[in-house]
Amino acid sequence: MLRLENISKAFPQRGIVLDNLNLETGIGDSIAITGPSGSGKTTLMNIIGALDRPDSGDIKFKGNSILKLSPNELSGYRNRNIGFVFQDHLLLNHLTIKENVLLPLLAEKISEEEYSNFEKYCDTLMERVGISGLKDKFPFQVSGGEAQRATIVRALIRKPSLLLADEPTGSLDSKNAENLGRLLVELNREFKIALIIATHSEDMALRMALHLKLDEGKLKV
Amino acid sequence: MKKYLLKFTGRSLLYHKKDYLNQAIIIAILAAIITGSLLTGDSVRESLKRNTNEKLGNTQLLISSGLRFFDSSVSERLMQKTRIKSTPILETDGYCQNFETGASVLDINIYGIKKDFFEFHGIDSIEIPEGTAAVNSELAKQLGIKKGDEIIIKFSDPDPIPRNAPFAPETNGEGSKVLKVSRILGPDLAGNFSLGISQLISRNIFMNLADLQQGKNSLFRVNRLLVANSEDISESSLNNILKDVLLISDIGLSVRKSAVTGETEIISDRIFIDSTLVRSILEEIKSGYPVLTYLANSLKTEKAETPYSFVSGISIDSGTVMGNNEIIISKWLAEDLKSVPGDEITLKWYHPVGNILEEREATFIIKSIAGNNGIFSDPSLMPEFPGISGSTSCSSWDAGIPILMSKIREKDENYWDKYRGTPKAFLSYENAKKLWGNSFGLATAIRFPKDTDSELIINSLKGKIEPSDAGITISNVRLSGEDAASQGVDFGTLFLSLGFFIILSCIILLSFSVSIFFDSKKDQVRTYYALGFSNRLIGRMLFTETAIISVAGSLAGVFSGYWVNVLIVKALNTVWTGAVQTNSIIPGFDSVAVVIGFISTIVISQLLVMMKLRSYLKRLGTDGKSGFRLNSSGGNLISLSAFSILAIIVTTASILSHDASVILSFSGGILLFIAFVLAIRQYYINDQKNLFSSSSRFYRFSGRFYSFYPSQAVAPVIFIAAGIFAIIITSSNRLTLTDEMYRNEGGTGGFLLWSESAIPVRQNLNSEAGIMEFGLNDPEFKDIEILQCPKLAGDDASCLNLNHIKTPPLIGIDPEEIVRRGSFSFAAVIEGLGEKNPWMLLEEKTDDDIIYGIADQTVLQWGLMIKTGDTLLFRSEKGKLLKIIICGGLKSSVFQGHLLIGDNNFRYYFPSVAGSSVFLFDGGNQDAEQLKSLLSDRFSNYGLSVETAADKLASFFIVTNTYLNVFTILGILGLILGVLGLGFMLIRNYDLRRKEFALLMATGFSTSRISKYILIDQIIILVWGIITGTVSAIFATLPSLKSSDGMSFYLIITMVLAIFLTGLVILYISVNKVKSTNLLIQLKKD
Repeated sequence: MLRLENISKAFPQRGIVLDNLNLETGIGDSIAITGPSGSGKTTLMNIIGALDRPDSGDIKFKGNSILKLSPNELSGYRNRNIGFVFQDHLLLNHLTIKENVLLPLLAEKISEEEYSNFEKYCDTLMERVGISGLKDKFPFQVSGGEAQRATIVRALIRKPSLLLADEPTGSLDSKNAENLGRLLVELNREFKIALIIATHSEDMALRMALHLKLDEGKLKV
Repeated sequence: MKKYLLKFTGRSLLYHKKDYLNQAIIIAILAAIITGSLLTGDSVRESLKRNTNEKLGNTQLLISSGLRFFDSSVSERLMQKTRIKSTPILETDGYCQNFETGASVLDINIYGIKKDFFEFHGIDSIEIPEGTAAVNSELAKQLGIKKGDEIIIKFSDPDPIPRNAPFAPETNGEGSKVLKVSRILGPDLAGNFSLGISQLISRNIFMNLADLQQGKNSLFRVNRLLVANSEDISESSLNNILKDVLLISDIGLSVRKSAVTGETEIISDRIFIDSTLVRSILEEIKSGYPVLTYLANSLKTEKAETPYSFVSGISIDSGTVMGNNEIIISKWLAEDLKSVPGDEITLKWYHPVGNILEEREATFIIKSIAGNNGIFSDPSLMPEFPGISGSTSCSSWDAGIPILMSKIREKDENYWDKYRGTPKAFLSYENAKKLWGNSFGLATAIRFPKDTDSELIINSLKGKIEPSDAGITISNVRLSGEDAASQGVDFGTLFLSLGFFIILSCIILLSFSVSIFFDSKKDQVRTYYALGFSNRLIGRMLFTETAIISVAGSLAGVFSGYWVNVLIVKALNTVWTGAVQTNSIIPGFDSVAVVIGFISTIVISQLLVMMKLRSYLKRLGTDGKSGFRLNSSGGNLISLSAFSILAIIVTTASILSHDASVILSFSGGILLFIAFVLAIRQYYINDQKNLFSSSSRFYRFSGRFYSFYPSQAVAPVIFIAAGIFAIIITSSNRLTLTDEMYRNEGGTGGFLLWSESAIPVRQNLNSEAGIMEFGLNDPEFKDIEILQCPKLAGDDASCLNLNHIKTPPLIGIDPEEIVRRGSFSFAAVIEGLGEKNPWMLLEEKTDDDIIYGIADQTVLQWGLMIKTGDTLLFRSEKGKLLKIIICGGLKSSVFQGHLLIGDNNFRYYFPSVAGSSVFLFDGGNQDAEQLKSLLSDRFSNYGLSVETAADKLASFFIVTNTYLNVFTILGILGLILGVLGLGFMLIRNYDLRRKEFALLMATGFSTSRISKYILIDQIIILVWGIITGTVSAIFATLPSLKSSDGMSFYLIITMVLAIFLTGLVILYISVNKVKSTNLLIQLKKD
C-alpha cells in the first residue's frame, strides 16, 4: 500500500538524518519504529505523512508517487488516507471534543448526507474508545488520557488507510499509556488499518507486529 | 558574569536581527516624528526671530512719540552724547497707486527718512533724492512697478496740530505726492524694514523726509528715532540721556514775547499744551501762569449777541479775584452788548465729544469792564490757530467748526481788522480750564512776568522735561520682537498634536512588534527560566537587548527628523501656508530639539517595553489553560439592544431637529459607534453555536476562535474605527460661515460690510455734514447704518500673526450702539459682573487710569495669552501707564486681532488719533458688491478697503482650517501606518494559533487554504473597522456633511480606500510571511 524507496533527508545543522531508507507497509500492518532521540523518527513520520518532503527517493501510495502531487492534492491525500496521533493531543481549545473530532471534515467539501454519516461514525468511534459522554466538553475540561483518545478518534474519522502515531504515549502516565497502546493495537486489527508508531517505549513497540530500529538513517530489524 | 550576559545579549541581537529591525524601524519613525515636530517648532521660532531681525536691521531701541512729532535734530544731539548711531524717521499711514495702471495697495508703511537711514543699517550707497521714492520688492510686486516708474502716494499729513483738536482747520489731513521710483529694495537693503511685530512682509515706501514734510515746517519733524544695536545702553539710561538733551523746541514748544504786555510766553505748535507739560514747566519756573483761550460761538445778554469771539482764561493780578460765575468783558464787548457790571452774559462754545462737536453754554455775571490796555488788549492771547491767525477777515476763517456767516457783522470784521484775535472776555483760568480743558491740553500758553529772559526759560527747562510728559516712549524693539517670536505659536507642540495619530500608531505598532518578538523568544526565555534565571535577570537581559535597539532606532530617527522637519516646513511654505501666512520659514537644526526627541523616544519605547516585559514575565510560570473561558452573549445583547435603540432615537431626532442637530448628530454617531462595536462582539461571541450546522462550515470555524477571544477581533476594529471616526469628526469641524454668524448676535454683528481706511476719515458720517460730504444721502445708501471707530495702530493679535503680541491695535467703539443693536456675543465675561452688560463697562474710567476692554476670546487665549479679568498695559499718548482690564471675550468676530475700548476713553487717552479708520456698514438688504464699489469710490481719497463682514470673519478661519487639513492628512497617514498593525496582528494571531494551523495542515488542510482562512479573518476585521468608523462618523457629522462645509465625501472615500488597500497589501504580505514558516515543529510537544 505504502512504499518508501531510497528516502534520504538531511538538515544543515544535523547532517544526514535519513539515508537511502526503504519501508513498505500493507493493509492491517503494525510497525513500531524506535531509535534514540535525534535519530530522525519524527522526520520519517512527517515524510510518511506527506507533511515533509524527502531530499531524494520516492513515496508510493497504492503504486502512485505522492511526491508528484500538488500541495493541494497532497493536502487532500493526507485528509483522506492518513490519520495522525501526536505526542501532544493538539485538540483545539475553542472547539468541543466532537467538533475537534469532526475537524478533518472541514478540509474538503462533503455533502450533507456524507456529513450525516460521518457524524454517526463519530458517535460510534467515541463510543468505541469510551469517550461518548465527552462530546460536548471542551478540551480543557477533560483529562490527558481522554484528550488523547479523542485524538485517535479524530485520526480515524476519515477512515484512513494509515494511522501514524508519533510518541502517542509520551505525555501520558504509565497506566494511560498502556491503555492507549492496547487501544491502538485493537483498532489496528478491528479496522484493518495500517499503523506505524514512532516510540521510545519498548512495551509499545513489542505490541506491534514489526519492530524496526532507526539507526544512522536506516531502518534495521 | 556581566561579560557573559553582554555576550549573550550580543548573540541574541545578531540571531534575532530581522525582528529587531522591525522594532528599530518603528522606533526610528517615532523619533523622526517627535524630533521633526520639535525641529519645526524651532524652525518657525528661529524664522520669526530672523524675520524680526531682518526687519529691524540695526535698530535696537526705539524712541517714539506715537502720533506726535519731535525735532529730528534730537538724533544728532543723542549721538554726540552716547556715541551710538541713531537715525530719525517719520512713519505715517497712507496708500499708493501705480501712476500708469492705477493699481493700488492700501495697507502700506510710509517712511520719511534722512540720508543717514541706510547708513544706519550699514548700507552706504543708497540715497533717496527729493521727488523720488524707494519701494521694497514686495510692494513693487504688488503694484507692478519697476525702477523709473511713477507712483502716487497719499498719506496722513504729519501736521503737529491733531486733526481732532478744537479749531484744527478742516483742510489739514491728507497729503499726496507723485514720486519717481528710484530704487527697488530687497531685504538685504533694509527694504523690509518694519517696527511692527508680524511674520508678514510689510509693503514699504521710503521717501525723502523733506517730501513728507511738504515744506510746512522749517524743522524736520519726525516721530521715531531708531537707536542702534549696543550693549552699552539700556532703555532707562537712554531715557535719562534723552531728557538731558531734549529742548522744549524739540517737542513743538516755542518762546515769544507779548508786544503788548512785554510778558514772555511758551506756546505750542499743537495749540494746546498738555497738562503734564504745564505742570512740569510751572514746577520748574514758578513765576509762570497758564492761559487758556477759546473761541466762543456767541456772547449773549438779554439785549444783544456778539458772535465768534475769543475768550481767555487768565490769572488776574492779585486783588482782582474772579468768582466761578464772574466774567470780565472788554470795553468793546460791553458796548456791543450794551451791558454793565452785574449783567448776566451767556457764553456758547463747541466742545469736541468724540468726533462730534457739542454746543455747550454757561452763564456769568459781568464783574467789570476791562480797559483797553495791558493783558486785556493783547492779541497774542489768541493761539496761532492755522485756519484763523493768518485770515484777512472773519468770513475766511477755517476754524474747524461750523461758522454761520450770516451772524458775522461788519463791526465784527472791523474788530478783526483792528484787534485781530484779542479776547473780548476773560474768565479765571480755573474756570476756563473746567469749561474748555480737553484731552489735548489745559492751556494755550504759559506766561511769565514781563522781561523774563527767553533764553533763561529755555535753559531752565533743558534737561527738566520728562520725555514721557511729551508722549515720548522708549522701548527695546529688538528684545520685544525676539520675545514675541520666542513666545509665539509653538509649532513644535502643535505638530506633535497634529501628528498624534502617527505617534499613536507607532506606539501601537511597537507594542505589537515587541509582543511578537517576546513570543518568538519564548523557548529561549523558558530555557533561562528552567535553568533558574530569576525573572529579574531575564527581564534585564531582554530590556538590555531592546534598549540597544531603542538607542539605534532613536539615533536613526532623530536625524531623519531633520528631513521630516524639512518636509513640514516645505508644506508650511506652500500648501499649508494658511497656517503661517508666509513662505519665509526656513528649516533649522537645533541640537536641543534633537536631544529631547532622542530622549523622549527612548523613554516612550522603553516604558512600553517595560510594561510588555512585566506582563510577559508574569505569564511565564502560569498555565496556558487559565486564559480559556466561555463568553456569555446575554449581557452583550442587552447592551447592544439598548445602544441600538438609543442610536436610532437620537439620530432620528437629529435629522428632524434643526437647532440642536449638531449635538444630537454627534451623540447619535457616538451611540451608533458603540452599537456597532457591540454588534461585532455579539457576532463573534455567537459563533459558539453549532460549527457544522450550515454549509459555510469552514468560515464558521474561523469565527469560533474569536468567540473565545472576542477582543482579538474587536480591539483592531475599535482601533481602525476610532481612528476613522476621530479624523472625520475633527475634519468636519472646519470653521465656516453659518446663518447664526450673519445675525446681530453673531460674529459679523449683523453688519454687512467691514472697511478700513488707509487715511483716517475725520468727518462724522452720521452727521449731516458728513452725509453731505460723501454723498451718503444718495438713494443707493438708503437705510444704511454706519458705525465708525478710531483705531490706534498696533501689532495684529489675530491668529494670522504667529508672534506673541502684547500691544494689539486699539479700536474705540461706541458701546451704546453695540448694545442697541444687540451685536456680537460673549464667550467669556469678567467675574462678578452680575446682570451688567460688559459693553457698558467700556466707558467707565477710574482716576488711576484703569479702563475696560473687550477682545475676541481667540485673541485673548492664543494671541495675547491672557483671560478675562487680566490687565493689559498700554502707554497713553501722554506717556501715562494705561491699564486695560479685559471684561469680556467675544465669540469669533470681525474684531479678531484688535482690542476694543470705549470711544470716549479712546479719545481721552489718544486724542491725536485723527478721525476714524474702521467702519462697519449695515446695509439692510443692500447688494453688498454694489455697496462695496460705491463706498470705495466715495472714499477713494482715504484708501478705503471694503469687504463683506462675512468675508472678514471667514478670513480668520483659514488658520484653523489649515490646522484641520494638516490634522486630517497626518491623521490619515497615521491611520495608514496604524493599519500596518493589522499585519503584526495577523502574525501575532498566527503565532498564537500556530498549533491549530499545524494540526489543520496535518489533517489535510492545504497551506494556501489556511492562509486564505487567516487572511479572510483579518480582512473581515478591517472591513468591520472601516464600516464602524465611517458610518458612525457620517451620522455624527450629518449637519456639516449636508451643508457641504465639513470633510468632503471625496476625502472620506479616498481615506477609506487608502486604509482598505493598505490593509489588504499589509495582510497579503503578512500572510505570505507566515506561509513560509515551518509548522511541523508545532506538532511536537513543547
